[in-house]
Amino acid sequence: MTHSSYARIVAVPGRVRVISVVDDARREPEVVGEHTDWGAATEAELSIGFARGDEACLHEVFRRLAPLIYTIAYRALDSSSDGEEITQDVFVSAWRARDNYQVEKGSLSGWLIGITRHRIADRQRARGRDLRLVQAVTNTTDVQGQPETLSTLIDRIVLTEEIGRLPHPRGSILQLAFWEGRSYPQIAEQLDLPLGTVKSHARRALRHLRTQLAEVTSWPT
Amino acid sequence: MAHLSPDRLADSALGIDDPLTAAEQNHLASCAECRNELGELSRIAHLGRQPEHVAPQLVPTDAIWQSIQVQLASQATAPATTEPSAEPPPSAPTIAELPRRTPRLRSWFLVAAAAVFGLIIGAGITTVVVRDRVEVASSTSLEPLPGQTGQGTAELLRDRGRPELRVQIDAPPSPDRYREVWLINTDGQRMYPLGVLPDDGRATYPLPPALAGQLEGFNIVDVSIEPYDGNPAHSRESQVRGVLPT
Repeated sequence: MTHSSYARIVAVPGRVRVISVVDDARREPEVVGEHTDWGAATEAELSIGFARGDEACLHEVFRRLAPLIYTIAYRALDSSSDGEEITQDVFVSAWRARDNYQVEKGSLSGWLIGITRHRIADRQRARGRDLRLVQAVTNTTDVQGQPETLSTLIDRIVLTEEIGRLPHPRGSILQLAFWEGRSYPQIAEQLDLPLGTVKSHARRALRHLRTQLAEVTSWPT
Repeated sequence: MAHLSPDRLADSALGIDDPLTAAEQNHLASCAECRNELGELSRIAHLGRQPEHVAPQLVPTDAIWQSIQVQLASQATAPATTEPSAEPPPSAPTIAELPRRTPRLRSWFLVAAAAVFGLIIGAGITTVVVRDRVEVASSTSLEPLPGQTGQGTAELLRDRGRPELRVQIDAPPSPDRYREVWLINTDGQRMYPLGVLPDDGRATYPLPPALAGQLEGFNIVDVSIEPYDGNPAHSRESQVRGVLPT
């Protein structure tokens, strides 16, 4: 893509219009979306609004992504209060640093997850210090099995979300195969679909997941 | 031979259809590109079988969102020196990292709640009463938080110039928990634990000397209900709260 693109947010009372000027040379605005509020905006439109500093947009981004961010932090740190603190911190940090977010470089969710990853790692390092202190005081050593890495945990949570969001019948097929351990012939029978169709959906779904996961983890860490 | 087709790679990762032929396996052995792709697809198929669900209904989004608003608003009105001039990109792990303190911070949550409830109801009156060289510099009523009962007052005293906080609340203690009095900063970042509140709900606490002047923003008086867990942090369950006028 050699086109430069930028976007303009037009807000009138009760309505938000997102206008993306796709071709700088033509200077012809192309309407990406028009909404009564951000609730109906696509993720791409939200990304633009976020980068432009629209606070109502921030709220919608929060509404959609806070559960994901919270779940990652909560599971990684096994603490609901740490989960809440990190969720708050991620959105405040992201909002302040929104100038660093570039729409064309990747998804907003991926960017937020990248910030989350750093916050969790910071907290885990601090805990490591605490743990060493406790061990020094109590003169104990705790040999534990290697815990799941943060990256793997994030991938699992993101994949669960993506599998849950796949459209029917693709989502049902993958959920039955992955989460309920059904065989493809069983799934075909249950959903009353030809076996070849089921397999074809499963292949495409897997490739879709690979693309989505790459998108989320594409931000430099 | 040519690269394995996307379908064959996906089939192999999913365990669908025929196993890879000898020729396909030979190709994989010599082609890093196909090997990497199959590796990633297999990893996804493996991780996809271990779901980790997000449960939006379990996430306290309202409370977090209020805290975010308070923090953004307090930053917007803060002096320019506290405004981060050049935020590092997310690759730098230090953006707006809260400074580490003891006890660990839970104050954002409280301040959020304070912003919603306390600031409205805690409009105390500033009076200066000279009583045995103890001045009441300011005072506020303490009002119950939602779901709590109780009422009280907090008075900022100057006993021969030393700052003290006198707290009286009329609320029963919980049987297996104790109460603690805190001064919370309106910046949403800092708090001081003043001490345990006796069961009769009356106590006077010396304040850190640096707060002798204008409380330095530590205007929110908070009484928390604490479990006997040895954790020095605020439990985040507050019984009553008020804001001392400056």
